[in-house]
Amino acid sequence: MSEKLAKIIFWGGTLSSLALFLALTVDTHRQFDALTHADRLDEQVVAGKRAFEKYNCNDCHTILGFGGYFAPDLTRAYTRLGEDAIARRLQAPEVAFADSFRKMPQQNLSQQEIADIVAYLRWVSHIENHDWPPQDSTRRWKRSTQNLLASATLSPGAALVKQEDCLACHKLGDAGTAKGPRFEWIGAKRSAQWIATYLENPEKLAPGAAMPAYAHLSPEQRQLVGEFLVSLAASHGR
Amino acid sequence: MTHKSQSVAYPYFVVSLLLFGLQVLMGLWLATNYFATVPQAIVDAFPFSTARAFHTNLLVLWLLLGFMGATYYLVPEETNSELYSPKLALIQLGLLSVTGVVALVGFVFGWTQGRPLLEIPRPLDFLVVIGALMFLFNVGMTIIKAKRWTMTQGSLLAGLFFLAILYLFGIPFYRNLAVDWYYWWWVVHLWVEGAWELIAAAMTAYMLMKLTGVERRIVEKWLYVELGLFLFTGIAGTGHHYYWLGAPKYWLAVGGIFSALEPFPILLMVYDTWRDIKHRKEPMKPKLTWVYLVGGVILHFVGAGLFGFAHTLPQINYYTHGSQVTVSHGHLAFYGAYVLLNLTFYYFAIPRIKGFPGFEYDEKTGHTGFWLTALGVLGMSLAFAVAGVLQTYLERVQGQPYMLAAQPIRFWMFVAFVHGLVVLAGVFLTIKHLLTLRPAAQPATA
Repeated sequence: MSEKLAKIIFWGGTLSSLALFLALTVDTHRQFDALTHADRLDEQVVAGKRAFEKYNCNDCHTILGFGGYFAPDLTRAYTRLGEDAIARRLQAPEVAFADSFRKMPQQNLSQQEIADIVAYLRWVSHIENHDWPPQDSTRRWKRSTQNLLASATLSPGAALVKQEDCLACHKLGDAGTAKGPRFEWIGAKRSAQWIATYLENPEKLAPGAAMPAYAHLSPEQRQLVGEFLVSLAASHGR
Repeated sequence: MTHKSQSVAYPYFVVSLLLFGLQVLMGLWLATNYFATVPQAIVDAFPFSTARAFHTNLLVLWLLLGFMGATYYLVPEETNSELYSPKLALIQLGLLSVTGVVALVGFVFGWTQGRPLLEIPRPLDFLVVIGALMFLFNVGMTIIKAKRWTMTQGSLLAGLFFLAILYLFGIPFYRNLAVDWYYWWWVVHLWVEGAWELIAAAMTAYMLMKLTGVERRIVEKWLYVELGLFLFTGIAGTGHHYYWLGAPKYWLAVGGIFSALEPFPILLMVYDTWRDIKHRKEPMKPKLTWVYLVGGVILHFVGAGLFGFAHTLPQINYYTHGSQVTVSHGHLAFYGAYVLLNLTFYYFAIPRIKGFPGFEYDEKTGHTGFWLTALGVLGMSLAFAVAGVLQTYLERVQGQPYMLAAQPIRFWMFVAFVHGLVVLAGVFLTIKHLLTLRPAAQPATA
């Protein structure tokens, strides 16, 4: 190879790649507002981002998959956990993770900061990023809705969930409200027995939770609800 | 060493080695957090996040100080003139070291920018920029005054210049998280797969010329080709970080294709090294320097090239993104590409700075240090890889909640920790050996 050809490879390679990269950067900027729903990016969301950075959350948690790998990804934390569960973890991590083998630091956030971070995570959860991460994929939640519809008439647990109007606070598939954690997530994390006990008196297992007690249900009914939730889990790896 | 001012590199090497030791210690603490249960009181006082900021910032700081020291060693010889101002170089070292220490102490008290790898608070960022400007001014003036330009120092300087420019993109506060990450990668990716590769290629080419006696014309011709391929694949290859951050879909194609080509320039670097060794005019001495040089080139290819390729395609990355698979790749790539590069340069330059006869030194503990560290890092990366594959399957494919999936991974983090102890022993021996390097018992007659 001649020296001249070597130089052509150097300049040709560098400049062509750079030109492509810069052109796509310009175009990406034109699309960012739509893909990230920038119209919903208000001052509270920005304040939430600042609080998120102030407490260095990102060196334990990933968000959009970037950051520390020590704690769960937060991209879809809002759709998975809902606002009450997020607030409870931020307010009193030493209580929320008392039984966990991995702890979260108590950094004494103000009520305002907690509300701001919840708003920030709500905005982040709507970023259109080709349905990542897979464990919180919308496609996956939709499939669980279909499973539910197929089995609803056969499941007394599902009937109870409907009767007690659980979806006024919880999400299930496409339906429900993101105040409390999503049912599929609870089902994957807990046993039917745990859920039945929890329903009787949530305060006992999760102090400070906003969840009301369902002591008016019989133990058998609570067990049925627990079994129904566990049946929703994307996996049964426990 | 042909010029007196080259010895200013030595204090850079010393400071960087001490920071390296601290980085490895902090790594062991991080691994402990993964397999053991750290009590709430300790987590409140010194959380994982702070320790991680230590670990990564120490890495970046010591590698950069090593690059800068190497440049101060290399440029006087390439320009055939003394350094413009050795005094300024020492002031710069002082400034950057103090900035680094203040940043680390600040992290403990929660003074942080709160963005991974870019935690250094903004006021300190400006001190870093001033340090970088002092460096570029010093080296630039040396070259301008000497009016002697070589391809090798051009590549090195271009790498360090782009490094400084790209750092600026990491300073502002971005309102939009997606835009934030978009430019975060301009610092992180375009450093390690752009600017730093220019530096690595130049330092390797320089050492090959000096150690093998192969003609400059041939080495520099291939350096052009290497750099052309590095930048062709590396710049647009940034797209492999843009898959899932809220950017348009074409990045899946662009990132996938260009980053799939990224192993090729590294392979060319392996080939170049092999060819230069084949055509060498000097004996391969001292042996340890060669062990480092060849080991570095090979592990650069394995860690950055192969481990990187393993999860760069979007179809795979959808499941592995942001998991321990990344940790595995990150550790082996940084060690293979940049840690070994710096250590090779130290073993190359220190005997010359100290004027050992025949540039030979007493190698014994150095070999033990190399093999303990290299095998330790390799074992650690494989343990992380197993943890990563487990996490990918349990959490991403099966859909288990994060903490459930983390349970079976604890064992593999313990395995990584045990290998970390081996790394610590190896690094301790290596640092001690480098800081107390002695001439060979029987000086070479050549």
